[in-house]
Amino acid sequence: MSAKRKRPGPAADPGVTEHEKTVHDVIRSKKDMGVSQWDLKREINIAENIITKCIKSLVSKSLVKEVKIIQNRGRKHYMSVEFEPSSEITGGAWYVEGSLDTEFINVLKEQCWRKIYAVKVATLEGIADAIKRSNVCQIELTKQQVEEIVKALVLDNEVMEVKSTGTGEFASIPVGKVCYKCIGKRGYGGEPKLGALASIPCGVCPQISRCTPDGIISPNTCAYYQKWLDF
Amino acid sequence: MIKLLNARFVERCPASEPVLTNPTKQELSARKRAAKYAKILEEQETLEQRVVEAAAPPEALRFLLLTQTEPAAEGKDETSSPIVAPGEKRKHDALESGTEYGATDEPVVLWRANFEEFIRRLRHKACIENVKTRLDDGAVTVLKAMLEATRSTEKKVKTENSVPLSLSSIYEEVIKSEDGRNITFDRVRASLIQLSCPPFVIAANESYSIDFKKIIEMAQNEEVESIVLKRYGKDAYRMFRLLSNSSHLLETDKIADAAFVEKKETPKILYKLWKDDYLQMEKLQVTGAKRLTQFLLWKVNKKLLREHVLDEMFHASLNLSQRVAFELEQEQELLNIPRDKRLSRLRKVRLLLESSQMKLDDAIMLFHDF
Repeated sequence: MSAKRKRPGPAADPGVTEHEKTVHDVIRSKKDMGVSQWDLKREINIAENIITKCIKSLVSKSLVKEVKIIQNRGRKHYMSVEFEPSSEITGGAWYVEGSLDTEFINVLKEQCWRKIYAVKVATLEGIADAIKRSNVCQIELTKQQVEEIVKALVLDNEVMEVKSTGTGEFASIPVGKVCYKCIGKRGYGGEPKLGALASIPCGVCPQISRCTPDGIISPNTCAYYQKWLDF
Repeated sequence: MIKLLNARFVERCPASEPVLTNPTKQELSARKRAAKYAKILEEQETLEQRVVEAAAPPEALRFLLLTQTEPAAEGKDETSSPIVAPGEKRKHDALESGTEYGATDEPVVLWRANFEEFIRRLRHKACIENVKTRLDDGAVTVLKAMLEATRSTEKKVKTENSVPLSLSSIYEEVIKSEDGRNITFDRVRASLIQLSCPPFVIAANESYSIDFKKIIEMAQNEEVESIVLKRYGKDAYRMFRLLSNSSHLLETDKIADAAFVEKKETPKILYKLWKDDYLQMEKLQVTGAKRLTQFLLWKVNKKLLREHVLDEMFHASLNLSQRVAFELEQEQELLNIPRDKRLSRLRKVRLLLESSQMKLDDAIMLFHDF
């Protein structure tokens, strides 16, 4: 039951019902964190179907927007349009629409690797400067964000973290400062050396704990071996 | 024979009938002070150890070829380097076995292959191979020279560090080798700096020593990480490396953030790794504002993981052997396929299986013997 209001309220929202205003007020009070429908129901003592209608109406009137959050259950929050979602719920620069922006991350990773490769040994500040100067991305990255990318390169085993000795290739870097070097002799994206166990079917088999010499799962009956030895 | 002895590939056999003396009162009380717990277990081990120790030829004799029947005390020129007498008990045994050898007119000395030396050399070879994948030839030559110079001073196979060497001794050793003939002093110094990052060589007080433990651990980590990458994927690889390099428990979301993995996917992958014994997990319950939140914390236990991976390797090795036997058996029965095709397939199959076995054997040594 929604009766159109004749005179607009202090927030100058034309055509908003009493219920819609209550819902909007609560949503607005949550500022840049927004609120889920479930939490709304707990705060406002109105029937659920009315809340749902109000939300739909507010969204269609562009007073409230939907924001996907990155936490486990992939829920969404509702937020008043004048706020920018906090990075706590959006995940910050690395997330878009509630999912990881893997393309963007991969581009940045490769660019950081190239900057390090070009100078053989690089400090975090050096990498951040180089990225900024090369304009690879439209938004400006903070030093912390560059650090996150470089640390991910370390996890990928593309780059290693070392401390400067002040001599040799570290000559221009103060002693003890953390810096980064590219690993080994392969280019970017090359796979690390394949281990002995990993190069045979048993090494990658999800059933190895159930495999026995004369069981249902055994080397003689193994489908992975069959495929591997199919010459 | 002398060459083999100098290289220590061959050694004297232990005495066939060792004589055990009762430990002195001093030794007994020292032992009591040292081990208050697990007394029975310690005694059993000690008995076996004592027998082995008593039977073993003293270090001075071990690689010595006697050309005369005189007691070994004088014949020092053929042993590689002087070894400090281990202790009272050993001296006592040396005297005993000395008289044993000197007793007859023509002592019959039995020789056997010195497996300890073979394993040590294979360990050194593995270290060199590992360093080769990361650094240049100069660094590898320097490392080889250091290994050559300190090999005979290693008391046991699983030595953690080599004996420290000065820069000049390393240089002298480097120019002796074929690869290192033309290397300059400065190049040696530069290579040593290279070898300190990652820290394969530790520099302290103007002397350098090889960190075997570090090199072997790095090789073992690479092997395990390779398994994780192939079995569970790139995301799991990053998360596993994060936990492996961190010494404490990490919470699920922190792992997701650092490894750039979707927060929804992270617990699933971690759970799979945990189920297969690659990770350890702990639950933490925190009473928040209105509800109880549960956090999951994860960790890599390196020692347990090494044993688990070694176990899988032994299992895989058995599987390979079994499959080779099976394929040979099968070959008899595949009569519908022309003979030359069968033989060609069998040849390829054997090559693949047997070369995989050899590669896996090397990996097993890395986890078990090095």
